[in-house]
Amino acid sequence: MSRNSIFTWIVMILSSLVLLFILAPLAGMFIHTGGVQFLETIKDKEVHQSIWLTLWVSFTATFIFSIGAIPFAWLLARKKFPFKNVVQGIIDLPIVLPHTAAGIALLGFISRDGFLGKTASIFGLNLVNHPSGIALAMAFVSLPFLINAARDGFAAVPERLEKAALNLGASNTKVFFTISLPLAWRSIITGFVMMFARGMSEFGAVVIIAYHPMIAPVLIYERFSSYGLNYARPASVFFILVALLFLIGLRLLSLKRKEKYINTDAQTD
Amino acid sequence: MLRLININRRLGDFALKDINLEVSDGQYYVLLGRSGSGKTQLLELIAGLEHPDTGTIILDGADITTQRIQDRKVGIVFQDYAVFPHMTVFGNIAYPLRARKEDKKSIAEKVEKAATAMNIKHILERSTEKLSGGELQRVALARTLITSPRLLLLDEPLSSLDTSLKDDLKRLLRNLNIAGQTIIHVTHDYGDAVSLAKRVGVIHNGKIIQEGSVDEVFKNPSNRFVARYAGIRNFFRVNISGEKGLFIGTTEHNVKFKLNGVSADNESLLLIKSDSIVLTNEMPEDKELNTIKGKITEIIPSEFGMEVTIDAGDLFYVNIITSDMEKLRLIEQKEVWMSFTSKDIVVINGN
Repeated sequence: MSRNSIFTWIVMILSSLVLLFILAPLAGMFIHTGGVQFLETIKDKEVHQSIWLTLWVSFTATFIFSIGAIPFAWLLARKKFPFKNVVQGIIDLPIVLPHTAAGIALLGFISRDGFLGKTASIFGLNLVNHPSGIALAMAFVSLPFLINAARDGFAAVPERLEKAALNLGASNTKVFFTISLPLAWRSIITGFVMMFARGMSEFGAVVIIAYHPMIAPVLIYERFSSYGLNYARPASVFFILVALLFLIGLRLLSLKRKEKYINTDAQTD
Repeated sequence: MLRLININRRLGDFALKDINLEVSDGQYYVLLGRSGSGKTQLLELIAGLEHPDTGTIILDGADITTQRIQDRKVGIVFQDYAVFPHMTVFGNIAYPLRARKEDKKSIAEKVEKAATAMNIKHILERSTEKLSGGELQRVALARTLITSPRLLLLDEPLSSLDTSLKDDLKRLLRNLNIAGQTIIHVTHDYGDAVSLAKRVGVIHNGKIIQEGSVDEVFKNPSNRFVARYAGIRNFFRVNISGEKGLFIGTTEHNVKFKLNGVSADNESLLLIKSDSIVLTNEMPEDKELNTIKGKITEIIPSEFGMEVTIDAGDLFYVNIITSDMEKLRLIEQKEVWMSFTSKDIVVINGN
């Protein structure tokens, strides 16, 4: 056996171990979930409500924040400004913070004593223990995924194309919407899916902002701490299946566009 | 008319320095320079994609130095075409019209007309992904021309086309210019410059080092760099001395040239075009001529016949047509006489 193939074998074994580490607990959970329990959980209204709440709140948070995050990503990709590195560091901060700490920080901001909380209460809205508070917690920890992916996408659009469009008489806004955005779309969608997925799976920050209404991760935790592993398992499996379905759907949507642009990007880069 | 007045622009280590340029209406101006000479940067300044640090750009009497790109009406076609990959050919050509919010019917008509003129009507509905270089070039040109630019800027438009496409595009550009389009074309290719330009500027290290008609520039290159561009390979560094009312330039290998209209006692560079030198087997009798004897060291086929290398102390390169070579029975190691008039010698003082 040549040295090269020994190396290849070792790499393959190590890779399999890592893959197994990810798959084994999930597979175990699926195997240990009895059919009857699972069917009961599917019918459980509380589970339905919490999964639905998780999905729509995370999606809405991603959608609303993308309105500001995408132009921000463009700014980071295209413009030079003082302390740009610091700004970049701030964006990545939520990734490295303990999420409970992020939740505590956010709670101070959105509770009735906090700036945002006070402002919201003028309009009769209490952000704590409310879907809008959950959305803020989800967005806080998942925004870096969208901003970073979109920034990389914009950076990969040849600047030449934007200059050409300006030269052809298009305004800056028009260039952004007709050239930069469509060409960076693939990365933006990837970032969107990542942010949505990350928001959906958030527990630490959300549980501090809102124990109720219960999003799926909180519900799973509550069932585990109150009734034990067997009771938490079917809800977990159900949530994972629904989340996977959503993610695969979004991925397929973005892949369709990817095929359309992949050759042309290579040509112009 | 376009006027650049004392344009300076620093970009990292590189700088455009004191650029002064005038391009009259209907002109075909070729800016010749090697890569990194600053020619593309200069185009971008004129188009407004970059702004000069100092200096003024005047177009048709108005100062456009700080005018928005969109308002200049200066069209630029980039070297890599910059055709929008996510749009069809139609979408690309219609882009400027849509930006101006023209109505659909007028857009369709104008695009069709432009596509017909560029001979790309048959690919209008195609995506730009699988177009050839020539087709992309035409799409980019049509897209720019549809804006009726006052000035058309072309960045190396011929560099990535094969020979037959090059000829087609040259014809197209010439016709555009004849129809009244003012064109500034930057290239590194001397051949493109000679075949298209009415006026030529040579740019080197961010400076325009010579400017004039094609004849003025290439028959009287102002320095060695420009001469190289003109395909002149015979350079001789000489010391000039006056002897009996006649000036003689002598190389360090003691090759002597009779010169007219020069001043003595300075080091100069002499240039002689390869096809200005006549070869004979016997020494020519005309006393006015420069006559130099040398030995043929190499004969190689060239674009127009043969290039003969002759060692006369310094190396001379002489172009000769094949029939003359046979008549003279030239072979390597044979001794021949070279002759040329003083007028055939270009004298460059200093460097």
